[in-house]
Amino acid sequence: MRTLVWLVAISLVALLAIVLSQQGALDPLRNLTLTVASPIAHGLGRAAEPVADFLDRQVHRQDLEEENRQLRQQVEALTAEIARLRQEGFLSGELANLAQVEEGRPGDSFLVARVIAKDPSNLKEAVAIDRGSDDGVAEGQVVMSEGGSLVGVVSKVLNDFAWVTLVTDPNSNVNAMVLESRTEGVVSGSLHDGLSMDLIPQEADVKPGSTVATSGLGGNFPEALLIGQVVSVRGEPQDIFKKAEVKPAASLSRLEHVLVLTSFRPVRLASP
Amino acid sequence: MRYLLFVPLALFVALGQVAAAPYFPVLGVTANPVLVLLMCWAMVRGPREAMVLIPVAGMFQDLITTDPVGTSVLAMLPIVPLAAVRERRPTESEFLPTVAVVAAASLSYHLVYLLVLAGVGRDVPWLQSSVRVILPAALFNALLTPIFYLPVRWATAAVEAGTPSVRVAS
Repeated sequence: MRTLVWLVAISLVALLAIVLSQQGALDPLRNLTLTVASPIAHGLGRAAEPVADFLDRQVHRQDLEEENRQLRQQVEALTAEIARLRQEGFLSGELANLAQVEEGRPGDSFLVARVIAKDPSNLKEAVAIDRGSDDGVAEGQVVMSEGGSLVGVVSKVLNDFAWVTLVTDPNSNVNAMVLESRTEGVVSGSLHDGLSMDLIPQEADVKPGSTVATSGLGGNFPEALLIGQVVSVRGEPQDIFKKAEVKPAASLSRLEHVLVLTSFRPVRLASP
Repeated sequence: MRYLLFVPLALFVALGQVAAAPYFPVLGVTANPVLVLLMCWAMVRGPREAMVLIPVAGMFQDLITTDPVGTSVLAMLPIVPLAAVRERRPTESEFLPTVAVVAAASLSYHLVYLLVLAGVGRDVPWLQSSVRVILPAALFNALLTPIFYLPVRWATAAVEAGTPSVRVAS
């Protein structure tokens, strides 16, 4: 009987806390808890990383992992540069007049943030960063990797911390474009599958290795921000649309620092 | 007094779950050491202490993640009724039932968790979650049981051995 009373009482308290939490009433408490916990969490993360690396090496026999990591960063940075140059080439070409380029956009400015934790739920893909509203971070702002590719969007902001929902989150959708063929589609996250690009017209020329970047459509992301590369394309001839598996350019499982793009104001923030 | 030790331990494991566990995915999922620890705790030491630790660790875990505060508490509540298996003693060994209830607690945890996510308006891929998260996580958490069960068991035995018993003459 006592156990039953406890179960009911704790359930009611938990439900009340969920309601309060959804209204943001517990945000100061979250901020305080993260302030206290983040140094320990960061220390634990730093301690865990070499152990995880060691286990990875044992499992995958990758003796050249460090070199590989550096090369990947270089590839990511170069691919981002290629994406930008391709976009510039496109804009300066004969189709430039069709592109809806935001005029008068100032040079991009970034806020460097350290990743302090990762959501452990298995059902969401999010990381916590050590920058919050006091630093100018706002919900909806776009977050990039050090290499310049898309990481995600700020989804929750506290005074000193923020949570970034990664592009691989099942609830994430980004209007995207295959740069080589100018094919547009929507890149969505999925559980453990990385990214997939949907709504690709059947006749579109999309191949493995094609570069996928944000299209800028909808105004929530700047255009030509590298997302990743097409790994495979699926779709039967009778299907209206094809689907492509996309490998994120950023190493999302091992993020240490990210860049919050503070100069770009997404439409969802600009709207009243 | 004993909670001065138990509560920081549970909080530390919760912190480790957020900061370190994501570095060690198995079968594509991250372990839930808090759930495994509390389930082992309830099986070895009885559910009474777990009834204190669940709200504390659950609330703390939610405060340092994106989950609505209270979600983990709700999701870990089934630990208490599941620990009733301890009283039934279905096998000679206490370890095997613990592995089974850890898997069951993991399943119920994710089901309640998904219900809360759906309740707060988040799109929940039910089928995908079942196949790719809930079942692998139950297996992974069950595999982790010895890591938490054995220390809790040894610590409990050591404390009991060191505690002078009072005999009442009849």
